[in-house]
Amino acid sequence: MFASRGKRLLQGLLVLLAISMVAAGCSTNNTGNSSDAAGEQNAKTITMAWPRDIGPMNPHLYNPSQLLAQSMIYEPLVSYKDGKIVPTLAESWTLSPEGKVYTFKIRSNVKFSDGTAFTAQLVKRNMDAVLNNMKMHTWLGVIPLIEKTEALDDTTFQLTLKEPYYPALYDLAVVRPVRFLGEAGFPEDGDTSKGVASPIGTGPWVLSTYKKDESATFTPNPYYWGEKPKVDKVVVKVIPDAETRVLSFEKGDLDLIYGEGLISYDAYKQLESAGKYVTKLSDPIATRNLVLNTMNGKLADLKVRQALSMGFDKEAMVEGVMLGLEEKADYILPPNLPYANIKVSPVKYDVEQANSLLDEAGWKLASGTNVREKDGEPLELELIYDKADLTQKAMAETLQAEWSAIGVNLKITGVELTVYIQRRKANEFDINFYSTFGAPYDPHSFMTAVVQQGFGVSDTLAALPMKAEIDKKIKEGMATTDDQARTELFGSVLTTLQEQSSILPISYIKQIAVYQKDVTDFNFPSNRDEYPLYGMDKK
Amino acid sequence: MGVYIGKRVLSIIPIILFSSFLMFVMIRVGPVDPAEAYLAAAHIHPDDEVLAAKRHEFGLDQPLLAQYVQSVTRLLRLDFGNSYISNMPVWEEVAQKLPATIQLASASILLALVVSIPLGVLSAIYKNRLVDHVIRGFAYIGACVPVFWIGYLLMFFISVKLEWLPVEGRGSLQHLILPSITLALWLIAIYTRLLRTTVLEELKEAYVRYARARGIKERVILYKYVLRIAIAPLITGLGMNLGKLLTGAIIVEQVFSWPGFGRYFIEAIVNRDIPVIQCYVMLSVCVIVTSNLAADLLQLFLDPRIARKGRAS
Repeated sequence: MFASRGKRLLQGLLVLLAISMVAAGCSTNNTGNSSDAAGEQNAKTITMAWPRDIGPMNPHLYNPSQLLAQSMIYEPLVSYKDGKIVPTLAESWTLSPEGKVYTFKIRSNVKFSDGTAFTAQLVKRNMDAVLNNMKMHTWLGVIPLIEKTEALDDTTFQLTLKEPYYPALYDLAVVRPVRFLGEAGFPEDGDTSKGVASPIGTGPWVLSTYKKDESATFTPNPYYWGEKPKVDKVVVKVIPDAETRVLSFEKGDLDLIYGEGLISYDAYKQLESAGKYVTKLSDPIATRNLVLNTMNGKLADLKVRQALSMGFDKEAMVEGVMLGLEEKADYILPPNLPYANIKVSPVKYDVEQANSLLDEAGWKLASGTNVREKDGEPLELELIYDKADLTQKAMAETLQAEWSAIGVNLKITGVELTVYIQRRKANEFDINFYSTFGAPYDPHSFMTAVVQQGFGVSDTLAALPMKAEIDKKIKEGMATTDDQARTELFGSVLTTLQEQSSILPISYIKQIAVYQKDVTDFNFPSNRDEYPLYGMDKK
Repeated sequence: MGVYIGKRVLSIIPIILFSSFLMFVMIRVGPVDPAEAYLAAAHIHPDDEVLAAKRHEFGLDQPLLAQYVQSVTRLLRLDFGNSYISNMPVWEEVAQKLPATIQLASASILLALVVSIPLGVLSAIYKNRLVDHVIRGFAYIGACVPVFWIGYLLMFFISVKLEWLPVEGRGSLQHLILPSITLALWLIAIYTRLLRTTVLEELKEAYVRYARARGIKERVILYKYVLRIAIAPLITGLGMNLGKLLTGAIIVEQVFSWPGFGRYFIEAIVNRDIPVIQCYVMLSVCVIVTSNLAADLLQLFLDPRIARKGRAS
């Protein structure tokens, strides 16, 4: 009856819709796949997803510059590989006998991506730009210790420290802030803390096309001093949502998913079980630990701490919460890190033993109650966790259940990340999660956390009778140039901490990688903040 | 009528001022220190000296009142400050991202109208028949299923399984289809039900009976009289829903990697990027207030009795 009018109305609206879509579509200055695909049909491309835009690619700053892009474009003087420091832009180096003066021989055949030469003067210029913005970088141990930077000639750079500090080279191997920008990349006033003119580095890749918040395409740096990358392009698509990343990968739009927390453990398992892709887990990169605050009277007692350590089944937690994608941890630091391979027998899950330790400590379970008491006070403890971190939440709930079986009432409190950091700094918690940094930051970053207040570790260890001795050994270990002495000192610190059960290892975190079957030559990088793109190939 | 319009337009000012105050207070009383959040996002250990320097840089060491006065005076100049994260002027960044959001929102509104008008009318005409049940079922589902979930379903079936459309991104018309369907679904659900109700009510009115008695064709009654009146609440609905559309766009943009304003806002929340959050909230308030006003005024032209009622009260 009203078909014709209805049709006309519908047609009118459809036309309107189409016009609006086309008009809006035209205004997006389209640089989609179709335009750059022409003529590059045979180009080997690796496409990956990243949750955020790669940022301004400033080598000397942090957020929003992404480690991914920084590590592709810029290089360090030395790199971290399998626990050792290896030459990169510095061919070799010497350390003065007292451990304060590093003299680097700069690789002479290195050019920046604009064709200009990489020189010791530029090393100094970059280093000074970093030091000018010192306040931002004090977290990195070597920075506040730098006394002098000198370019002795074109290929010799000298770094003088105020005091000996063994991890200096490890700190120079991190992705930011000590990496090198070409002359033309500096802003007019030379102050890179406000921005860079353009991202000119010596790394294997250059940024060739960039669409903010959408995608970035990297191509090999024609002047690269090392072996050329095997693929012609790396496309980094910005996909903020984890589920979308998985769907995009399943559709075949992505070749690789790599990066911490990029997809959920469930999604990883699902992709693994599909059998159509390659899924890989790295060696342990860091440890998730529980920190028991000894400044709380209840936790000051070694027996209580040991009971808590024995009173939960790590293996079950790793299987149940981390779906087996993390590994049960026996040690505070993964033993594959430098100086971390210690000989201590790990604590075993033993509820009976845990119960008897608590009994010995005077915490008795009255009949008909679930919570132990001592002098009328219940054995109640509070565990704080970052509420946005679903793994921590599940771990907290598991611990609550496990410890209630030994008569401990664990209250779990999820807080905002910044509140979490504030409470940790102020030492306002009984129990807390603490993840180690991983390579190349550990073990020295962990040791710093044990010595220095404010990281949520040192203060919690304050009631240990041997805390002063631990601190002394760490300071000695940091300063000595004798590797053997350091191995012994750090080994002794880690052994004591392990025996004191104030830091309880739970699991080793691993990197996950999922890629399409035509991707080859994938290797996990040793440095936690690096990405495996250099050296990768495609069939 | 002029007085009524004047009053309505002026009433916007206190609403916007009050919103700005409320927003300021809510952000400041929150437990999160933006300087600390910034450092956490950058993986920098927040030692006291660094924190103090950042707080000073962000102006957070000023007294609260000074901060508020400063933010209002800047607001009046459309100066939302620089983003804590990118260090770029917020307004510039927003201006870059707005076209994508406007494109998505307008495509969704058009799609919603195109689909819901015929559905609503059909549902009313075939009241309690199979067509009506199907349409109402569809509207019911559309209204209660979460937006992001619909987004994933569409992606999974249309993009991954059938490979008809891209999963995410922006750039071509194809990219626009799934996000705008996702964003339009709940609007379709609301409008369809709204239109069904109003059409049914109008059909009971006396003028319809007279028109029928005069032998005017059913089709003419429906399109010439009923629909014209029944569409009016839809316009109000649209005005009221524009704000909700913006919040819906946040989720859709996130799910479909649509580089718009909503996604920018999500990142700002994660990073506690206060200038961006302020800009977003103020813009949303302005959009909601002005779209409500526009809808009211439009109604006024469709039905001038409103102004008389407004003046009488």
